[in-house]
Amino acid sequence: MSAPSTGTLLSASGLSKTFPGLKALDNVGLQVSSGEIVAVVGHNGSGKSTLVKILAGVYEPDPGAQVEIRDASGQVLQGQAARSRLHFIHQDLGLVETLNAVENLGIGREHGWRSLLPARAAAERRRAEQLIARFGARFDVLAPISRLSPAERAILAIARALDGWDGPDNVLVLDEPTTAFRESEVKRLFEAIRRVAKSGAGIVFISHRLDEVLGLADRVVALRDGRIVADEPAGQLNHDQIVELIAGHAIAEVEHSAQTAGDPVLEVSGLRGGTIRDLDLSLRAGEILGVSGVLGSGREELSGLLFGAIRRDGGTVTLSRRPLSPGDMSAAIEGGMGFVPADRRRMGAVIDMNVRENLTLPFMRPLRRRFGRLDGHAERAETHRWTRTVGLRPPDPERPLRLLSGGNQQKVVLAKWLRTEPRVLLLDEPSQGVDVGAKATIYELIVGAREAGTGVLICSSETKELVSLCDRVLVLQQGRLACELPRDSLSEERLVREELGLGINNGRPSVGQANSKESEID
Amino acid sequence: MIEQIRHATADEAASAAGAPDDRPPHEWQPAPLAVRARQALSFQNISAIYIFVLLFVVFALWIPSTFLTWGTWRSLLSDTSITCLVAVGLVVPIAAGVVDLAIGTEVGLGAIVVAWLLADRHASIPLAIALTFVCGAAVGVIIWALITRARINAFIATLGMSSVLLAVIAWISGSQQILNLGAGFQTLATNQLFGLTYPVYILLAVAVVVWYVLEKTPAGRRVYATGGNPEAAGLAGIRTSHVILLSTITCGVISALAGLLVSSQLATGDPTIGTPYLLPAFAAVFLGSTQFRGGRPNIWGTVLAAYVLAVGVKGFQLAGAPIWIPDLFNGLALLLAVGMAQFQKTPTARTAAIRRLLRGARQPISDRGENQV
Repeated sequence: MSAPSTGTLLSASGLSKTFPGLKALDNVGLQVSSGEIVAVVGHNGSGKSTLVKILAGVYEPDPGAQVEIRDASGQVLQGQAARSRLHFIHQDLGLVETLNAVENLGIGREHGWRSLLPARAAAERRRAEQLIARFGARFDVLAPISRLSPAERAILAIARALDGWDGPDNVLVLDEPTTAFRESEVKRLFEAIRRVAKSGAGIVFISHRLDEVLGLADRVVALRDGRIVADEPAGQLNHDQIVELIAGHAIAEVEHSAQTAGDPVLEVSGLRGGTIRDLDLSLRAGEILGVSGVLGSGREELSGLLFGAIRRDGGTVTLSRRPLSPGDMSAAIEGGMGFVPADRRRMGAVIDMNVRENLTLPFMRPLRRRFGRLDGHAERAETHRWTRTVGLRPPDPERPLRLLSGGNQQKVVLAKWLRTEPRVLLLDEPSQGVDVGAKATIYELIVGAREAGTGVLICSSETKELVSLCDRVLVLQQGRLACELPRDSLSEERLVREELGLGINNGRPSVGQANSKESEID
Repeated sequence: MIEQIRHATADEAASAAGAPDDRPPHEWQPAPLAVRARQALSFQNISAIYIFVLLFVVFALWIPSTFLTWGTWRSLLSDTSITCLVAVGLVVPIAAGVVDLAIGTEVGLGAIVVAWLLADRHASIPLAIALTFVCGAAVGVIIWALITRARINAFIATLGMSSVLLAVIAWISGSQQILNLGAGFQTLATNQLFGLTYPVYILLAVAVVVWYVLEKTPAGRRVYATGGNPEAAGLAGIRTSHVILLSTITCGVISALAGLLVSSQLATGDPTIGTPYLLPAFAAVFLGSTQFRGGRPNIWGTVLAAYVLAVGVKGFQLAGAPIWIPDLFNGLALLLAVGMAQFQKTPTARTAAIRRLLRGARQPISDRGENQV
């Protein structure tokens, strides 16, 4: 440890924010010491984004708030001076996709009139390589950003934020940086974050992935309804405790009720396309079938292939005894298929349209009246019913999806397919980027669909999810079926080992922790 | 960095606040009537009407003798109807996500084709009109094929198409005006009913039909979904390619109709008539999209905007303003409209602060999302 001082670096106190009719943040305080990693966890709507926005100066806090930074010489900075020591990395990272790493690093720098002179290519490149090497990363700094992995991009964003720090007396705030990450990449980013902390900076890390938080943070601050409900060293908390703290009540594990599955509704044979090579599967009515596998195993492409979003190269897909032609999504929906893609904002929903319009989009026929008119009254009534069923917050059917939290967006996406009463429901990472509360609702809805006789296929990288929900799980490796695990031999540990091809008797499981499950093939 | 976070999170301002945990979700009620009425009458929702009132007052005081006459307004209604018709046609592809820059030359093509058929080929009037529609539809199909089959960006495809159409127009007409269209054809755009020329009624009929389809039918919903996010629309089972085809054909036929009305009005096929319709049509659609529907292109917003812009232009003309005033006015209106749309979408800290200031001491009303829980 080279931390020069261990005193309190950032000290915020009395932070409150009142919106009309709602206290979003209520007298919250936050201390970060030099070299410390503080995780802030909470539900959507718990106030964590409000907290970040107050620190960033986007929101003006209610009177009485104080934000101070103590710099290296012991001087206390306030207001704008303090803000200049706070650096933010948001989920979208703020990088320019078409430029390379060197150029992205150069964007924020002050050049003055010299910006008109030719850039010194070699020197700039060396500098960029040195900068990213500080975080243990090595990649082609001349390749466009779009070709880098998410972790490499995040490291670049950190490097850019840290470029030009003149001392350790800075605080880095990371706001949900890992939402789109695979687990192996999370590890790389964490390595970089630890290095930043070691150099003496303070880190505020905001996330809803609880395993991550426990693996990274020194201290955990939990928010609920705008108040701090816990501020404790990470070592004294476990996963369940944090869930309980932020949800306010213990969330029961999904009760798994064995149910006799019905006739096959989806039969697939010899499926080829993407990384998938020759896959057979059969899904029955009232069954939840999980699909597991590391990144690149074909798990992330399977549901898209079945639905027709990705055109398959070969094989047959039979939906309720009728063959589906490749790439015909309308026919798949007609046949009773629904698909919840992993990338919600880009593929799952039209986020500029409102809840009502998104909900009825795939299935408007029952609302059609004479002269092709859409029955607005019936549509509103139906939307109102669904917002209740899924517990949408706020339950405003006219709100654009853009203004809903990730969890609530996902509820709408799920509801729009449940409304079609599908025979087969394909879910890709159904709880990705979703907070704990919404996750429980989503699981309830999935189980509810199964009870109504829908065959559900869940492709997920979250082993916990698969173990608690599925009747059986298929494990994919390099585009082929590696093994099938029935319910009674299903455990997280077993799944992780099968994904990595370790089999059941290959010595002690060394990768019990979900966080490290993809590291070995990387 | 702060700037970025501001930008990225502005959208989510609403969800940041969220609802407290213990509040049952179904307690939500629509806002009270007074609040909704205030929102409906807010400058943001119907700015064009306020602008109209402002223009009306200014010109009524400035040039009352010419501005406040029935003749002025009658000719304004008639003269603007064709521009407005073009704008109505443009709403459809823009709603489907196709920015059709060829709209001006599509009008020009309609104007020249009908004139050529009547004067050079001596076609009967109904046949000439039908063939002009076919021609407009064909242009729509070509644009559709360029966008969805050849996968050319809509912007580039229609820009290229507009140049090609200019060449076709010059080829058909030999860059000469086509005269002798016949008196019968001319009555189409100049005959009057209750003091207004036929194009006003044609506009009204087309606008009603397009409005009905866009706003009241599943087809219209699919058009907006395709424009909003083609990928997500496709995954919801919408055949986005069909939607785009429908929208480009509709636009082609409506602009051909506008073109033949222009020829009828002038009793001439003028090869240069199309392009000047481009900017007013875009200005009307974009200004119109800030009206009523909060950023979504819509028919009545467009019709309103087209007429408000025309009132401005007419007023300046009557006041003896120089000839370049219409161009300036339309250009500024387009920029203002798009700027306003940005303002609506991403409230920054500054605009939020201004709004707080404007709300002042009185109990804040919930304004758009941010506080509406």
